[in-house]
Formats: sequence, structure tokens, C-alpha cells
Amino acid sequence: MFTHVAILLAAMAAAFALAKLAKLSTELSILAMALVGALAAGQGIPLRHLAEGSVAYLDICLIFVTATLFMNVVKEAGGIDYLVRKVFIRFHKRRAVLLVILMLLMLIPGALTGAGSVSVLVVGGTVALVLRGLGLKDEHVAAMVFLLAGLSAVAPPVNIWAMITTAGTAIPYVGFELPLGIPVLALGLFVTFYYGMRGEARDLGSVLATMPEPPAGMRAWRVGAPFLLLAAFIAVPRIWPFALPTLGLPIGFAASGFLAWALSPRKIDILRLSRETMDQLLPLLGTCIIVGILLQVMTLNGVRGLLSLSIISLPTVAIFLLLPVAMPLSEGILTFGGAAVFGIPLIWTLNSIGLNPVPALSGLSLLWMLGDALPPTALIGRLTVQSTGYAGRYWSFVKSCWLPWLVITLTGTLMVVFSKQLGALVL
Amino acid sequence: MASVITLLYYALCVYIAAFLALGFARTRDWQKAALQLVVLLPFVLRVLRLK
Amino acid sequence: MTRLIFAKILAACLFLACLVGGGLEMRGLRTYKESLVKGPGVTGTGRLSDYLPALKGSWGDTNLYFLDSGKPGGTALILGGTHPNEPSSIVAAFVLVEQALPEAGKLIVIPHYNRSGSTATQPMGAYPQFISIKTGWGEQKFRMGDRLANPLDQWPDPEVYVHYPSRQMLSNVDMRNVNRTWPGRADGALAERIGAAAMELIRREKVDFVVDTHGAELLYPVTNCIVAPDQGASIAQLAALDLTATEFEVHVEPSPAKFRGVSHREIADHSEAVPFLLESPDPFLDQPTGPKTEALELDGKDEFLLAAARRGLLFTDYDEKGKSMEERAGRHISVSRQLAAQWSLFNPERIVAFSCPGYAEFVANGLGPYFRDPAAAPEGSVVLE
Ligand SMILES: [Zn+2]
Repeated sequence: MFTHVAILLAAMAAAFALAKLAKLSTELSILAMALVGALAAGQGIPLRHLAEGSVAYLDICLIFVTATLFMNVVKEAGGIDYLVRKVFIRFHKRRAVLLVILMLLMLIPGALTGAGSVSVLVVGGTVALVLRGLGLKDEHVAAMVFLLAGLSAVAPPVNIWAMITTAGTAIPYVGFELPLGIPVLALGLFVTFYYGMRGEARDLGSVLATMPEPPAGMRAWRVGAPFLLLAAFIAVPRIWPFALPTLGLPIGFAASGFLAWALSPRKIDILRLSRETMDQLLPLLGTCIIVGILLQVMTLNGVRGLLSLSIISLPTVAIFLLLPVAMPLSEGILTFGGAAVFGIPLIWTLNSIGLNPVPALSGLSLLWMLGDALPPTALIGRLTVQSTGYAGRYWSFVKSCWLPWLVITLTGTLMVVFSKQLGALVL
Repeated sequence: MASVITLLYYALCVYIAAFLALGFARTRDWQKAALQLVVLLPFVLRVLRLK
Repeated sequence: MTRLIFAKILAACLFLACLVGGGLEMRGLRTYKESLVKGPGVTGTGRLSDYLPALKGSWGDTNLYFLDSGKPGGTALILGGTHPNEPSSIVAAFVLVEQALPEAGKLIVIPHYNRSGSTATQPMGAYPQFISIKTGWGEQKFRMGDRLANPLDQWPDPEVYVHYPSRQMLSNVDMRNVNRTWPGRADGALAERIGAAAMELIRREKVDFVVDTHGAELLYPVTNCIVAPDQGASIAQLAALDLTATEFEVHVEPSPAKFRGVSHREIADHSEAVPFLLESPDPFLDQPTGPKTEALELDGKDEFLLAAARRGLLFTDYDEKGKSMEERAGRHISVSRQLAAQWSLFNPERIVAFSCPGYAEFVANGLGPYFRDPAAAPEGSVVLE
């Protein structure tokens, strides 16, 4: 069994490499890897498994589509230009205050939805514009947006990695506020000031001259109302959870997008914009859906079991040493699936040697978050490039993350190692 | 009320599926065409209430 | 240009194959009906919607079987299929309905407490869609479902599931987990309505104790056990001691006070009944296993888990013999019988007693002999589940 499954794993890796060599896109290469995994296991083309796996991330895809469409409407209406201008005029002399505002702007959407991608899609572009105005280099802008988006996904109240793992391990999702909140805020401030204090702010006039002019009829309430509506969609189910049926984020984004469209001083062709949005999102949606298919095939042929067995079979010290590399990589390959494949058995194993699962899981999610910049999926990394308008080489922006990356890795790993001692944070 | 919301979600899936199908028909890049169909699959499965 | 058209046609064919081929296969699971033969112990049937009309016509509605001894005593409710991907629970409930003979008091059995969840398998789980148990007359075939209610019956999920009434935040998908939606909400989502209906059933039928049967991962610390709240601790302890001395190892885990939404907590807090949750070890559920096959579900033999066992990673004994369905389903029935016996010692005016083949019989003879042939069953006794 071991050799058989190990051969399947090797065949899948080879299929990916070959597909890449044949100039297939990353998404199709992962799909090829999945198909080869099924074929080599003697399953033929398992139609039902392909179909079933494809549905795994349907709900996350709906959030991506509606959130992006919402932001694109706001952008098209001139709302972003208006907002950036106002913020910049008001705070350009008080850099530290401005930076903290930007950090909170980045952290909130992801904290509430659990998806760092929502932070990038909703505010990433705006924040990038302001950061450029502050004189930050392009790599640093992208690095900062990426890292803050990652931290926003880790931030409480909603941390999807922790939720997947707690749901799979029958540990209640409670007591995560401080173990997640404290490191996220501390690391967030570190990231913000590490990048934010570099570069000279250009003088107001020349910055404003490079910024696009908002349309004449644009007013604060026209920009604000859709965001307020969105905030209501997010807040109301938490404050009065039993007053309304489940709405879900996609409806919130869709309704806010509709409002932004109605309030726009410019006429917006929503059909054209939808088409463009779908075009823009195709690689991201493709990645999510294909990773679902890949995980289904890996479960079908036993590769998932082998991977999860190999990590928990290691001696504890080796697990600790491997975490900083293995967890980001698992996220890079499987996105949230990494939490299911490794998180669930890891937490039980660590629990059995007396570690506290809540800080441990908080630490793990800091490691997973970094993986969102790693290929093949590079989910948030790619979105960051897209929405910040970063034009340089992908790896040079990732490289400029090195110090915060190291600090976050260290924090995450130490939180796992000392999770027992950190138990006091769990209320 | 809950069923109205569920219906809206199905409508949303139909809307998205329509653009994906359109994109598939229009694109001149075969890789993109293939990807459009992969993405289309879960939306159609849900709309047809198969999964 | 022609190459483009060719590629598009090829892609479209694959797409249609997945849609039609895969879709029809999944539709086959959704519409498949298991046949269950009412045994001589069954005195009546009902529907969960009898206790909450809002469930009527939904996939949350499900069959109840009453096994009334006609002699005075208490009432026990036995839930199967809370998590349909833990099929030993459903198998045990089927055998109870087909074979149990009530001797005092009354039994109520629900084989598919989460019927919606039993109609779809888990995305990324790569489950088989059915499992079949060989019998003298053919095969008794069961649907293999998911842990959660089918999204076709409850959609969308919230960003975070706020449990009613405690307001505890749980993972968003747990809103479709009927063992996180106790005590339920009559006007809530489907899974919450199922919980509310069951609570109403418990109150109206004056249920004294509830047994909620499950399967658990071997890597999960809570396995081979009875989870009980304070009210049931001594009964569970005595049952566990007795069984460990005579048949198989089983121990008691206290129901955590802070873990909301689960049967062993909320039934205790919101009704007079005492809940017990049974976990029997199910290798199929573990992460580090080989392919998820029907054989793995039936015999529970897996090399990867064996390796994990040798490294001391598992919370239960495990060897080449695996953990068979016979053992796992048998445990549920034997523990339930034993719980009834201990309950009756503590509550002589509300005794519950029944006979039914369990662990010893299944391990010795297999499960086959304990399923009745629907083709040979008396008219009107076959129910489609
Ligand atoms: Zn269970």
C-alpha cells in the first residue's frame, strides 16, 4: 500500500511538471495532476468524483464573484478615486495615523469574512493607491497588501482554517479571540510600519495630479451608502442572529453592488462589467474548483492519507521543525484543503501530547496564511498583483516580504510549541 | 423568506453560469475555454440540483 | 482555428460527461430508497413532522418506529444516522427496528435522524455512494451520506453559525450539522427545525433517555465511549464497567459544559430526558487512511492506520483485524441495552427493557442473518427509508 500510493504521488507530481513544461496554465496543470492521479489508481476518469470535487468551493467562489463585482462597480462609479483623494488630503501630513487607518481598513473585511481575498478585492486597490502616494515602492506596496490580507484572514472572529479544523476535530470554535487577535494586531502593526515608514511622501499637489479625477456628481454618501449596507449585511446576522434567515455574504455583496450601481453618478453597463469581472476572476475561480477536484482525487487514491500520515508520524521535534515550511506549502498547493489534510490529524496529535489546541491552531493559521503567496495556487498573492496593479516580477514582491515572513513564521511556530503555556489566553 | 433567499442564490448561479458559457463560446484561447467549462461545472450542478 | 474548435468540442464533451454521468450518479444516491422490514417488535410508526408540522414535505422529515411492550415503564429514544457518514449508527438502528423485542416500557427508533444528509456524499470526501451487507437472501444496501445536511436542502450557509439559544459561534458549515443544532429552532433553518422537532418529540412522548449513536475517528480522543452529562454519569459508568468486564472496552466521557449544540449537552439542559452519545471507532473517518472504499467502511482494515497504531498515535487498540461493521454496529446495540438495564435499576417506575442481537451475535454470525428479506416479508411491513 505504501509504495503503491507513493508511486501515485510521484505520478501526480510528474504530471504537473510535464503539464507545466507543455506550457499549460497552472490551473490546467493541477487538473492534469488530478486526472493522472485517478487514472494511475485504476479509477479511469471518475466522472462523479470530478463533479463532486468541483462543488467543494462553490460557496467561496460565489463570495469572490459578488465581492469583486461590488468593488468593480464602486471603482467604475468613481467612488475609489473620490475616497483615496479625501483620505489623502486629510491625513497626508500624519503618516502614522494614516498607516493605522489603512491597516484597519485591510484587516476588517478579512476578519469578518475569513477570506483574505475579500480584503484584497474590496480595499486592496484603494490602499495600494494611497501607499503609492506615500512614496512606497511597488514591491513594498504589494508585500504590505498581501501580508495584511493574510493577517486579516487569520484575525478573529472568522478564521476559516480554524473553523475547518475545529469542525473536523469536534473542538468548539471558542476562545480564539485573544490567541488570534493579539498576534494579528502586533504583526499587523509591525508589517504596516516596517513598510510604511519607508519612502518620502510626495507633496500633495503632485500626488493629487497623478490621481484620477472623480466624476463631478460624486459625494461622500454615494460612496458610503453601499459600504454601510454591506456593513449592515455583515453586522446584523451577528447582532440579531435569530431575527432573519441566513443571508450569506454573496447576497450582501450583490445588494451593495446594486446600490452602488444605482447611486453612481456615471452610467454603468452592468452586463459589460459582469463579463469583465468574470474574465478577471477566471484563474482564481478555476484554482478553487480544481483544488476541490484534486483533493477529491487525492482522497480517492489514498495520497491524502499518506501525506497526513507522514506528518503525524514524525517525532514531535521534527514536526515543530517542519511546520514553518510544510504548512505554507500545503496552503500553496491545497489552499484551505491543507487545514483539512494536515490540520485535523496534527491537532489531535498535538492535543495528545498535552498542547492546547486553540493557541496551536492560531499559530498554524499564521503559517497557512503565508502559503497564500506560494505557487501553484498563490491565491492571495495573485489577487494582490491584480488589484494593486503591481507590474514587477512576482517573485521580487514575495522576496520583499522576507523579514515579516520570518517574524510571522517564528510567531506562528512558537505559538504551536508553547501552546500549553499560552492556554491562559483562551477565555 | 428563507426560500426566497435560496432562490436568489440559484439566480446568482444562473447569472454567473451564463457569463461563463458566453466566455467559453467567445474565447480564442483553448486553455481559457477549458477553464471556463471547469468553472461552469459546479454552478450548473447546483442549478440543476444535482449536487 | 480548427484546432481551437477541436479543443473546445473535446472540452465540452468532458464537461457534459461529468455533468450527465456524474450528475446522474449523484441523483441515483439522492433518490435511492433502502428497504426496511418492520420486525415483530414494531407497534407503530410516525413521522418527525408529527411533532413539528413545518418539517412536513421537507427532506428533514423522517420515519419513526415505535416498539411498545404494552407493559408500563419508561421511554427511550434511539437516534441513528445523526451523521450519515457514520453508517454503523444507521445499521444498528435498522437491526433494532427489524429485530428488537420490547419487554418493558417503549422504544422509539429513528434510523435516519439526518435524512437530508444521507442523500449526498461529502465533496472532497471521495466516499462510495452505497454500502452493501451480504445476507442469506441478497444484499441489504445502505446509502452512504455526509456528516452535514445536503446543501440542496439548506442553502446558503452563514459566514459563522451562531448557535440558538446560547449564541456560541460555531463553524459555518455546522449549521447543517444536526448534532450542533440541538435544541433547535422551530422557525430556523432545516437542521434547526429537525432539532426543534426532536425536542418536541422528547417532551410529548415523555422520553426518559436518548441514545445518539455515532462513529468516531481512531485519532479522536473521544472514541469507544459513552458521552454523558452529569445526570447520566453514574448510569453510564455502571454500563461501561459491566460491558468492559464482559464484552468489550468502553469508557465514559463527561459532556463538556461549554460545548453547545450537541445532543449530550442540550437535551440534558432543555428537557427532562437524559442523553447519552455513543462513539464507536470507525477507521473510514480518519484522515490518514488509504482509499475510502466500501471495504474500508465494512471491515475497517487499513494499512496506514495500522502504521499509525504502531507509532502509538491512536486512541484505541487497532490491529490487522480492523474494526468491522459487525463490531461497531454491535457496540451501539449492546451499549444501548446495557444503558436501559442500568437506567431501570435507578428508575424502577420507568423501566425500559428490550432484547436484540448485538455485539456478541454480530461478531459470531455476521450481520447478514439479522436483516429480513423484503421480498419474503408480510404485506405492509416493508418501509422505504
Ligand atoms: Zn458523529
